[in-house]
Amino acid sequence: MLRHLKILEFAVAATLRHKGRNLAILVVYSLVITILASVLFLTRGLKEEAQRVLAGAPELTVQRLIAGRHDLIPTSYGSILASVPGVGRVTPRFWGYYYDSLTSCNFTLLGLSAGGGDHLELLAGRLPTGSGECALGSGVATARRTEIGDDLVLIDSHNLGVSFEVTGIFAAEAALLTNDLLLLPETDLRVFFNFPEGSATDFEVQVFNPQEVATVAAKIKQRLPDTRPITRSEILRTYDSVFSWRSGILLTVFASALLAFCILAWDKATGISAEEKREIGILKAVGWDTADVLELKVWEGLILSLTALLLGLIFAWVHVYWFDSTLLAPVLKGWSVLFPRLVVTPHVDLYQLFVITFLTVTPYVASTVIPSWRAASADPDSMMRS
Amino acid sequence: MAVLIKTEGLEKIYNAGRPDEVRALREVSLEIDAGEVVVLKGPSGSGKSTLLSLLGCMTRPTSGRVTVAGRDVSRLPERFLTEVRRETFGFIFQQFNLLRQLSVLDNVLLPLYPLPCSLREMHRRAEALLDELGLSLRQHLKVRYLSGGEQQRVAVARALVNGPQIIIADEPTAHLDSGLAGELMEILGRLNGQGKTVVIATHDRFVYEHPLVGRIVPLHDGRLEADPP
Repeated sequence: MLRHLKILEFAVAATLRHKGRNLAILVVYSLVITILASVLFLTRGLKEEAQRVLAGAPELTVQRLIAGRHDLIPTSYGSILASVPGVGRVTPRFWGYYYDSLTSCNFTLLGLSAGGGDHLELLAGRLPTGSGECALGSGVATARRTEIGDDLVLIDSHNLGVSFEVTGIFAAEAALLTNDLLLLPETDLRVFFNFPEGSATDFEVQVFNPQEVATVAAKIKQRLPDTRPITRSEILRTYDSVFSWRSGILLTVFASALLAFCILAWDKATGISAEEKREIGILKAVGWDTADVLELKVWEGLILSLTALLLGLIFAWVHVYWFDSTLLAPVLKGWSVLFPRLVVTPHVDLYQLFVITFLTVTPYVASTVIPSWRAASADPDSMMRS
Repeated sequence: MAVLIKTEGLEKIYNAGRPDEVRALREVSLEIDAGEVVVLKGPSGSGKSTLLSLLGCMTRPTSGRVTVAGRDVSRLPERFLTEVRRETFGFIFQQFNLLRQLSVLDNVLLPLYPLPCSLREMHRRAEALLDELGLSLRQHLKVRYLSGGEQQRVAVARALVNGPQIIIADEPTAHLDSGLAGELMEILGRLNGQGKTVVIATHDRFVYEHPLVGRIVPLHDGRLEADPP
């Protein structure tokens, strides 16, 4: 143990001796890890958000399609949906998008029926109960610099300003859906968007047996051919594949940077200089054996790569969770850039940390140790002469 | 006196089987007693440095045998060969072979890292030696700022810090003026006085004619010439 500690002490001193060279490697190395970790953190964060949000979503959402596009659905469809075997509660939903020219953000306006909104987690205040009240997602509140008790003015479909009193603000957790949300009493929302009488945006359909969601969806499609039943798992899969696809694109681009770095590291290590060979020869001549020299090289590689890993992870964490992934968000979040600022909830995943460590530390340590192995296995005499 | 190092029919060929093959040593048989001061003398290319490397377990012979303190080391696995080298020999090289980016003290500490002694003990031993060799005031300086003579003394301190039985010195005066060369021989004389065996490879007349030297082993073209009377 003492021997290993002494070699570690020597390795630390050796690393500090080559400050300039090692600092340059550390900067590039940390940057590479920051990018990789940011992509993985953000992708994971978005998927987690989606999962968390959809946990409270209905098993089935039924929309109406006209000419292949989502259109308002007649509320009379509710009784047909309720008659499908296996279907429980059927609830019409009233919602729509609102572009806020003041903040250049898209908000989602959702109508709250009496007794609804149980699954929404409020950070502060209460849900709207009466006409002229509203609750906001934290992103909307930030974008509009609005607090509880303030009035929020929106422009309705008649191009008239309508004022709502803010009664509550949603929690930042699971912000993917609630972040841009503006909750109004259902009647207010129908007036605001000028919904035609007898129509809703879509239906929330409860299915008694979760195993039968796909069967129920097929039956609905059979009875109401102009509808599109969407299951919760389909939405989740879509989120998953969209974020995976986007992160895949980013990682592909990033792979070339990683490869370039590996080539650089390999070149540094394989191009073991005469001076380094001489140093290894001297160490062996004065009594270090091959294992000692290799241990020294492993420590040197680990000191540098683990420092870079730590810095990279910290930078990535700050970038993703504090600075809203400024560099990656436009690619990974896609159209949602029009959203109010979305803060992904911090989440530590050991598997992800293992992947990042494996992809970044292993190649560097290997490219440091392997060439030294060749030198350390040779006679000290020949190494000192080289 | 007991025989400490013995070689039998020692041969060393570099780059064997290649166009640039060099037969550095041929049929060298030699005995060195404990406590002796032996000089391997010969012109450049005569094989003295190669023989010194073989005696000091720095490389293995192509054929023949090297015995150190009765133990055949010529076919020892690398690990054991290193152990013999670490426990038995102290090396002083022609080019000093110090790590230039390290301080005087750190260079002297190098042989102690693989040994089972604490950092405190390592420092105690190295500092005592540096004090003895008049380098204690320079111990924190990088060796590249030292004069040739001082660097040679650092090399001597490094060679002695693990308490070796045999000192191997390859052209130790090559980069020293006569004053410093005399100083070095004086140090080697002191070590011999403490019972250490000293083997020196040199073609410097000052060294091989020094009264300290007990025996001269002349080499020519990798062969041993008869010992002078």
